[in-house]
Amino acid sequence: MRTNRTTRPARPVRPRRLIGGAALVAAAALTLTACGTSSSDGNGPVARVSASATTAAVVLDQPFAKPNLVLTDSHGKPFDLVKETAGDPTLLYFGYTHCPDVCPTTMADIANARSKLPAAQRARLKVVFVSTDPTRDTPKRLAAWLGAMDPSFIGLTGKFAAIQAAARSLGVMVERPVREKDGSYSVEHGAEVFAFSPKDNRAHFLYTAGVSVRQYDQDLPELVEGRTP
Amino acid sequence: VTRPAPATPSAAATPGAAGAAAPFVTPRRTTVLLAGTLLAAVAVTGCSAHPRSDAAGGKPRLSVSGAYVPQPPLADMAAGYFTVRNTGGAGDRLTSVTSTTASDVSLMVTKADGSMNGVGDLPIPAGGSLRLRVGGDHLMLMGLKGGRPAVGQHLSFVLHFARSAPITVTVPVEPASYQPKG
Repeated sequence: MRTNRTTRPARPVRPRRLIGGAALVAAAALTLTACGTSSSDGNGPVARVSASATTAAVVLDQPFAKPNLVLTDSHGKPFDLVKETAGDPTLLYFGYTHCPDVCPTTMADIANARSKLPAAQRARLKVVFVSTDPTRDTPKRLAAWLGAMDPSFIGLTGKFAAIQAAARSLGVMVERPVREKDGSYSVEHGAEVFAFSPKDNRAHFLYTAGVSVRQYDQDLPELVEGRTP
Repeated sequence: VTRPAPATPSAAATPGAAGAAAPFVTPRRTTVLLAGTLLAAVAVTGCSAHPRSDAAGGKPRLSVSGAYVPQPPLADMAAGYFTVRNTGGAGDRLTSVTSTTASDVSLMVTKADGSMNGVGDLPIPAGGSLRLRVGGDHLMLMGLKGGRPAVGQHLSFVLHFARSAPITVTVPVEPASYQPKG
């Protein structure tokens, strides 16, 4: 049994563009879809309402500082996150490579949007993937997995305690991977992608996993220029 | 298999969607969202227990659409998605999926709190649908034979059900950031 558990941030952040009412409407509408026979053709606005609750950047009233984190990169070299990304627009995600669903989709979406940036902006954007399963995510495996999506992506692995502490500083709670009796693993990944500004190295906004490529397309040029979309 | 049909967000997908949004809300809004999730959950329960289903002696009538596998980064782990629609008068359950191109295929559910677990089956209510999607319920494919599949390649899934006959689906490999329409 594998478990990806995403947990609540330590402190609540106010979602300027996340409308609770929309989610309620979505839930109510989906109820109709689930039970109805006449309106189950799926052409209604249900999916769009539902999507609007998760597809926009979530602006943070209290920006997050970049965590102090020194790990090993996918070339096997030490990587000091604060030092190596100072002054760079940076996206940060906590995930693992034996994750079939959310982790590769999140990274592939970012890769897709990054590939469409003008070359000058593309060169400035740094994308950092921190493993929550560092024992299995060796530098070599991170290089293969991220390299298949975008070789510029920075994969980091190392001591779980350091990774957990860094995640916690951003309100992402991940527990140590557990090997189950049947030989499978339970591993947790973050549900958020943090966007750190090149101006002050703080995250002024984040995305929930599940944001659309189109949203990254729109926002990445803003992030690179140090603006909050 | 045609291109993905317009989405019919299934009841099973709802808690995941609401759950993904929940961590970022102020306490007051959490209540609203939780209420929404509960509402959906109640509806699901009500649905599957609906007397219309089996008491009427109907049969499930299933069709599969929108199947795809996003190109995985490596061959050892991939996801699969599709929608099973049930236009019949009785519910059914997806009990397993087999594929000659994967060493193992598991049914996974994403719960309202974002946690993911393997399950023995997934319900397909009468007059409703089961929709597998990114961040929600999905297939986990392990050990793809023949290495990392190329975009445009096709895999084959056989869907097995509690009541209906198995359905074989040809599944295209799509770009990793492919998003079904709808």
